[in-house]
Amino acid sequence: MAENKSMKDGIKRRDFLRVLGVSGAGATLTGCSTEKVERLLPYVVAPDDITPGVSTWYTTVCGGCSAQCGMWVRTREGRAIKVEGNPNHPVSEGGLCAKGHATLQHLYHPDRFLGPMMRDGSEFRQVTWEEAESLLAARLGSAQNPMLISGRMGPSLNKLVDEFVEGIGGVRVSYDAISDAPLAEAARIVYGTAGIPQYDLENARFLLSFGNDFIETGSSPVAHNKGLARMSSVDAAGSKGRFVYLGPRLSLTGLNADKWIPIRPGTEAAVALAMAAVIAGDDPEAAGPYSNVLQAYNPRVAAQVAGVTEDAIFELAEDFVSEAPTLALGPGVGAHHRGATAANIAVMILNHVAGNVGRTVLYDAPVNGAVSAYADIEATVSAMASGESEVVMVHGANPVYSIPPQAGFAEAFAQVPFKVSFASALDETSEMADLILPDRHFLEAWGDSSPLAGVIAVQQPVMQPVPHFESKQTGDVLLSVANKLSGEGDAATFYDYLQEHHRSAYDEADGDFEDAWQELLRTGMADTRGEEARVLELQSPEIALSFEVPTFDAPGDLTLLVHPSPRFGAGEFSNSPWLQELPDPVSKIVWHSWLEMNPHTAELRGIRDGDIVTVTSPHGSLEVPVWLYPGIREDVVALAMGGGHTGMGRYADDKGVNALGLLPSTSEQPSGALVTTVTSVTVIPTGENRRLATVEGSSDQHDRLIAPAVALADLGHAGDDEHEEGGHEELRELQGVGGFIPVPADEGAPTAFPLEGSRHGLYADAQEGPRWAMAIDLDKCTGCSACVTACQAENNVPWVGEEQVLMGRDMNWVRIERFYEQVDATQAGDLDVRFLPMICQHCGNAPCETVCPVFATYHTPEGLNAQVYNRCVGTRYCANNCPYKVRVFNWYRYTDEVPEPLNWQWNPDVTVRDNGVMEKCSFCVQRIREVQNRAALEGGREVRDHEVVPACEQSCPAEAIVFGNIRDPNARITQVSSSERTYRVLEDLNTQPAVNYLKKVTFHEVASVGHEE
Amino acid sequence: MRKHWLIGGLASLLTLAGLAFIQEGPQEPPGSEDMVEVEYPSGQPIAFPHDQHAGSQPGQNNMDCQYCHYSAERSVDAGIPSVSSCWGCHQAIPGSNNPEEVAKIQQHIQSGDPIPWVRIYKVADHVHFPHMRHLNAGLECQQCHGEVQELQVLDSRDPAWGGDNMGWCVECHRQPDDTGKAQASTDCTVCHY
Repeated sequence: MAENKSMKDGIKRRDFLRVLGVSGAGATLTGCSTEKVERLLPYVVAPDDITPGVSTWYTTVCGGCSAQCGMWVRTREGRAIKVEGNPNHPVSEGGLCAKGHATLQHLYHPDRFLGPMMRDGSEFRQVTWEEAESLLAARLGSAQNPMLISGRMGPSLNKLVDEFVEGIGGVRVSYDAISDAPLAEAARIVYGTAGIPQYDLENARFLLSFGNDFIETGSSPVAHNKGLARMSSVDAAGSKGRFVYLGPRLSLTGLNADKWIPIRPGTEAAVALAMAAVIAGDDPEAAGPYSNVLQAYNPRVAAQVAGVTEDAIFELAEDFVSEAPTLALGPGVGAHHRGATAANIAVMILNHVAGNVGRTVLYDAPVNGAVSAYADIEATVSAMASGESEVVMVHGANPVYSIPPQAGFAEAFAQVPFKVSFASALDETSEMADLILPDRHFLEAWGDSSPLAGVIAVQQPVMQPVPHFESKQTGDVLLSVANKLSGEGDAATFYDYLQEHHRSAYDEADGDFEDAWQELLRTGMADTRGEEARVLELQSPEIALSFEVPTFDAPGDLTLLVHPSPRFGAGEFSNSPWLQELPDPVSKIVWHSWLEMNPHTAELRGIRDGDIVTVTSPHGSLEVPVWLYPGIREDVVALAMGGGHTGMGRYADDKGVNALGLLPSTSEQPSGALVTTVTSVTVIPTGENRRLATVEGSSDQHDRLIAPAVALADLGHAGDDEHEEGGHEELRELQGVGGFIPVPADEGAPTAFPLEGSRHGLYADAQEGPRWAMAIDLDKCTGCSACVTACQAENNVPWVGEEQVLMGRDMNWVRIERFYEQVDATQAGDLDVRFLPMICQHCGNAPCETVCPVFATYHTPEGLNAQVYNRCVGTRYCANNCPYKVRVFNWYRYTDEVPEPLNWQWNPDVTVRDNGVMEKCSFCVQRIREVQNRAALEGGREVRDHEVVPACEQSCPAEAIVFGNIRDPNARITQVSSSERTYRVLEDLNTQPAVNYLKKVTFHEVASVGHEE
Repeated sequence: MRKHWLIGGLASLLTLAGLAFIQEGPQEPPGSEDMVEVEYPSGQPIAFPHDQHAGSQPGQNNMDCQYCHYSAERSVDAGIPSVSSCWGCHQAIPGSNNPEEVAKIQQHIQSGDPIPWVRIYKVADHVHFPHMRHLNAGLECQQCHGEVQELQVLDSRDPAWGGDNMGWCVECHRQPDDTGKAQASTDCTVCHY
């Protein structure tokens, strides 16, 4: 044995340790040594408006979609780290959707162009701005029929682009991938107005949506989401507005309805006209020039066509008059079929005869939404293919991706001798360009916006341009190129142009323009709308209208609905990892595409969840997994846009399929819009199956009263167990020494916290401090998931990718549960789908706190369930014990995957977690501390109610979340939580959560559910 | 002999089992790629003497800490002076002790590059230390940072600085105030979030 030990060459163990100890000690005794240290880099000249460590806020406008919501941006040391809604904005009123939050990722995206690029064979070569602009000027100087294809932009840039295009003798083509052209055309035909009407959802008592997905797309998803929540949530007087959805498929908007009438695709006009006929009755003047149209429609005819009962339509018509004020919305982008304009006209007639114009449908301040005609871009395809146009420039659009391949845009574009893109990041169109002049992101650029006529908002840069990218505002580029072409003097900047545009429109009698400009930059908008509500006359249509059910391309036995994605729009947001990992609000699937199919239809064809099928239309074919969805008609399947990118970037490419591949290139008449609900398909299983990357556990509550509801009729009869789900039985707690004792009635109330027996040490004076709590009103929550992305942005929550989600390792701190209680796709009937935002409940009697071996999680004296990241050793017992399953674990150092400069977005007030650490909702403790610090500095005053606003509450367009100190009797949280609808999830477990939920209120009776014995 | 095989076999089995859990080598803490190796503590790019500027001895300038560390009473960060802050005086003061060090300030002003100071006082990344709360509570800078105004070269190994040790912070927080309660909260989440 001894020989074996001494066989080891060199140092023996004891000697080794002795030497290590001595040399270690020696190192600390010497005065100078080399060490790894950090640098501290000061400013060279400190800016006046930045204090290191203190946030500076700027007002601007979101450039994400055509809604143009107001935005407040938090910056730290000159870096934008969080975007939020501007509460002063008259349209969005402080809300912001998930896509809006994700625009911050596009600012710092590593897939942005590094600078101007010139084509060099099959590659791009970076050039200087001088070279790039000179090249463009040279080509434009001699080009025949130059063309500029542009998406939506603010009024000043719009004017500049018009002038530029005129100056070069070219043609401008407007193109919006998601366009409300049928609605605009309908308004023009029916009332002679330009622009789309404004809808006052808030003041309607009965809302009817004919396939209009106003929470997801349309002129203002945030404003309409807010309007729906205000209108349909029960008010103090105990009444609530009703929302009925008519359409072949329940979108997220549809899932919020009280009743679903599953009409066949394309039959909206028939139903609307039948209703209008019933309402107009014998009055020949009611529908003016459309009275003869109404004669041809009645509920019996409409019922046959639409596939629902005559009674359902009669009832609808009667309610539409009796439950005034009412509002009907015509089909939006998710339902653009060959008769979309006619369908919108029909709904306008319905609104007119019901007396809604001037009340809930307003034409006074037309909405400046996206209304371009697809037919225009079809014309440009021929112009390009024939070689007519020598230079084509593209700004704010990605037509190579978002136009059906059948149109041949890519092939025609390839024919153009000189192609220019202003895109700031790679996409399928700029991939083909010869010259790229990357535009700035809207957070680094000047601009303006006018969401409604009479409302002006300014978009200002909130930081210096991100230094990794040599970007330049397109407005500046155009002015510079125009200057080169004309050779006169110096080029103006776009900022000068913008200011001049507003100065010329400004009435100096109202005061000094410079002061007004500064005020505009500070508040973000100016509202100059008048008060009058115009009452309009129906105009005689100048063209022949057909309200017939439109045709769908055959062969195929299932009609295909192609609709914009609530997460990606038409695909412009697909490269945001936050949005890729945001569970789709309807399907809860992430990172890939799915085909929605009715479970009964699937059963008949032997298709199961996750089966990969080949979907074939007369225009194309693709393979996609099936997701079974009860909220879709049995003869319809649906596919969302936004997948199947091939050249957009690392997070978008090869994720899912491009639904547009199945569509023809067809524009609807007379609006010219792209038709998306246009073809039927065959669906054939391939024999393969895949696990869907979903975060959904179950859509069935299994009688666990997770999201109970109360019928409207039963409000005010609280405690009557017969009528109400979730009564309150006496709880009993098992003692460690055996036996049960009853849990005192006041446990869980703010007065009972901290728990008896723990009122010493840190908790001795906790009765005097705040006790933080939250209330979530499920009658308001629409399931839009804006809170999920807001939380991810605020708290540096990592994304993990499809593979990890498949393993159940998704990291979102908020989860929107979706439970089907009543969904019937075969007949008109009550709809009951419940959304429940589930976050850490900050339980007073938390099961997670007792099992942590290192005290990394415990209850703070202020009532938070704290998670101390540096103490966590990764036992994961806490997540195991949590009955709500809201704790998420960093299995890897996910932040290693975050490329520069995406890490610039991280919130410096929140620790970036390493691997091996558990995390969960913290009630935005960093915001609580920020407010408490401010209060201490301001003379040690008390923190006011509503001063601490967690990211989720701030973002919620539906105003469903309330946070505050529940120990304050005057706080909103206390008042809201004392509602008769208040309950807590899984209350019977005696976890005593600090999150109170308010039950959803239904119009129908809710089945009484017994308690678990 | 058999025993050796058994022990060897068991050991290698356990080693293999252990190897299965190793991912990559020992992981560097995140952000450590930004650290540099310098001669510590004298590796400062400019030999700035705190005693000459802030000291109260005859011939020293007795400057207030917050003249340079300007955000301490408003912000979580105390702030370090901008290069223009130094230049404000030194454009006229060449410095009698070390004029070649003072000249470096001009070089930085002209080149526009910030002076890359070596960080001396640091608490861990998972600690959110708010300077303004402590100043608001009446603390002197010297209570934590030591008698900086007497030092020519700052060294975080000075026994007066205990900032790399949480117990040092907690001890002060635990001290009773006039009413007998702890003078500051020892709740974990006042610093760790």
